[in-house]
Amino acid sequence: MSAVARISQIGGQISGNPTAGGREKLLEKHPDDVVVTAACRTAFTKGGKGGFKDTPAGDLLAGVLKAVLERSKINPALVEDIAVGNVLAPGAGATEFRAAAFVAGFTEDTAVRALNRQCSSGLQACIDVANQIKAGMIDIGIGAGAESMSLNYGPAAVSEFSDDFQQNQEAVNCKVPMGKLSEDMAKDLGISRAVQDDFAAKSYQKAVKAQKAGLFKDEIAPVKAKVQDPKTEEWKEVIVDRDDGMRDGITAESLAKIRPAFAKDGSIHAGNASQISDGAAAVLLMRRSTAEKLGQQIIGKYVAGAVVGVKPLLMGQGPWKAIPKALEKAGISKDDVDIFEINEAFASQCLWCANQLEIPHEKINPKGGAIAFGHPLGVTGARQVSTLLYELKRTGKKIGNTSMCIGTGMGMSAVWVAE
Amino acid sequence: MAAMLEFRTQGYNPYAVKYSPYHDSRIAVGTAANFGIVGNGRLFALALTAQGIQVEKTFDTNDAIYDLAWSEINENQLVVACGDGSLKLFDIGLREFPVMIFHEHKREAFATAWNPVTKDNFISSSWDGTVKIWSPTRPFSITTLPIGSCTYSASYCPSNPSLISAASSDSHLRLFDLRTPSSAKYHLVATVPVHAAPSHPGGPIPAGGPPAEILTHDWNKYRDTVIATGGVDRMIRTFDIRNPSGGPLSLMHGHEYAVRRLTWSPHASDVLISASYDMTVRLWNDASSQPQGPVPTARPGAQMGVMNRHTEFVTGVDWCLFGAGGWVASAGWDERVLLWDANLLMHPR
Repeated sequence: MSAVARISQIGGQISGNPTAGGREKLLEKHPDDVVVTAACRTAFTKGGKGGFKDTPAGDLLAGVLKAVLERSKINPALVEDIAVGNVLAPGAGATEFRAAAFVAGFTEDTAVRALNRQCSSGLQACIDVANQIKAGMIDIGIGAGAESMSLNYGPAAVSEFSDDFQQNQEAVNCKVPMGKLSEDMAKDLGISRAVQDDFAAKSYQKAVKAQKAGLFKDEIAPVKAKVQDPKTEEWKEVIVDRDDGMRDGITAESLAKIRPAFAKDGSIHAGNASQISDGAAAVLLMRRSTAEKLGQQIIGKYVAGAVVGVKPLLMGQGPWKAIPKALEKAGISKDDVDIFEINEAFASQCLWCANQLEIPHEKINPKGGAIAFGHPLGVTGARQVSTLLYELKRTGKKIGNTSMCIGTGMGMSAVWVAE
Repeated sequence: MAAMLEFRTQGYNPYAVKYSPYHDSRIAVGTAANFGIVGNGRLFALALTAQGIQVEKTFDTNDAIYDLAWSEINENQLVVACGDGSLKLFDIGLREFPVMIFHEHKREAFATAWNPVTKDNFISSSWDGTVKIWSPTRPFSITTLPIGSCTYSASYCPSNPSLISAASSDSHLRLFDLRTPSSAKYHLVATVPVHAAPSHPGGPIPAGGPPAEILTHDWNKYRDTVIATGGVDRMIRTFDIRNPSGGPLSLMHGHEYAVRRLTWSPHASDVLISASYDMTVRLWNDASSQPQGPVPTARPGAQMGVMNRHTEFVTGVDWCLFGAGGWVASAGWDERVLLWDANLLMHPR
């Protein structure tokens, strides 16, 4: 029973900060912590146009898994399970992803599964693996995400609802297209086009600045891809190592000229919503004691995760409800968090959540977000981990939070510590 | 206040003081060296004699003592909650060593209470986020109730041996009924969000607020559905457990720092006393005997007096069950135990 813990506990009771001492507690290192020893992603490229437009999700996954093995130099046979988030591939890509593990250099000893919790699939994969480690089911695992929105995008994703379903209003609401419900939510909550465009422009500006400064170098693993020239129909091999969605010189004024996408008098358009992209990301997780035994370099720690439900029509509010729950589980307050990675599904919902929670804007997505460089649905949650941990390390900060809204009305959030 | 008795716990900072339920002349004080931060603990069994307060017996523990409870079945025994997570049962008739040690909590054991009705079990709560129920004759706990966050205080309903309450750092008061089946909720029957705004509109004082740690709570000895809570936000609130989301019945504002311990009077249904980090002990009337207005709102309780003789955090306070009513023991980090008559706070001479 450490004296420091007792002092901070009593100190918190006197200062009145409900979570005083929580930060110190979070930064403690224990042998049974779940730690990250490698986290990286592929570049994100534009759906239908970018360098990965002809690369299936499985190949993207193989690329990023190979990078994890190279970075961590871990013996692949020691990795017991790989969870991969994916939203659009049939069966969430279960078969391709097992195959991808072999291509990446894993042996038959490593199990693989695909999972789908819509836009939080990548985070769900990381949390699932962390929980497996905590529960003692495995010692080492990888949480990942892989998505080819170019090859798997389409309306075939949802089957017809039965009559019983049609009778239930909330059930029906689950099918309302994301663009329409976000448009309605922005209108109902009074989130003006001007503030959305301003937020979106800043995302672009931050991302461009970060890219120019080479701040994505650490997290992006270059991956080889075959790509077909749409005019000449010639195939060529390229190395993709750069996000291609970022555009320089975007301002709130230039975004103001774009036509609304979902309603004539609407406020949401291609410039202030997340981009359709292809990519993959992976996070190598293990128990601290295992990492130390293997001589793995620890870059961060998983602390706590939370999942919540909100009204399907207000799915954009997911982070607003999920973030406080994750912070509570971690025993800290929002002021203890140095960086928030909140997925920018739409500028409107991201901004609304941040404002409701009174999170200072300079703490949110310091290198830009999905509006600037894309949101390959099942990848984002795993992508945020590497974006966050490298930025925390670069800036000498410690505690980060990742979160996203989820279609059909849910939210997820997790707390991470950089080491 | 002329008639005040004093005892010094030299070298040890008190964390709890309790009158014996059997004798009006017996008091126990749980203390810790170095303000309970590091070092050992000492239990003082004190006797009130014609020569003042005398030490009847002391027992040393190898970690801080944070709380204690007198046995209800054996007048010589009492249990202490220790910083190493253990509970120790001492017998004043014996020397040095505990009669029993109960060690299951993984972190600081912070509160303990003896079942006042069946008298055959006691509970403990801990920073490890659990409440445990023990029999004094068994070394292993009978039941563990999960709370999930640092649990500063646990108590029995004074009239029903199956009702257990726990107050924790997550700003919630939880109620467990051991008569219910141990389902997924482990006997949890009600949760009172202490800092949530009530479901009906608030009164003259905002009843809700940001979540804050609850450090102490106690059951009213006459109205067995009423519980008072106190904690980091300095406010004392009373709740009716039949309406967990109904918000507080009354609010008592006055302490300048966290409320560390509170206890209802055994002699009056609307009187309670509280000890605080602001170095005071305050006497309150919860306004429950005044007529309620047409709209049910949280009523402001009245502060009936302040005892400011302590010179450090006051951590323990207890009422004497005997006599005319009004004798109080308070103890604090100033290494002092003070016995005084609360009636004098209201009618200073």
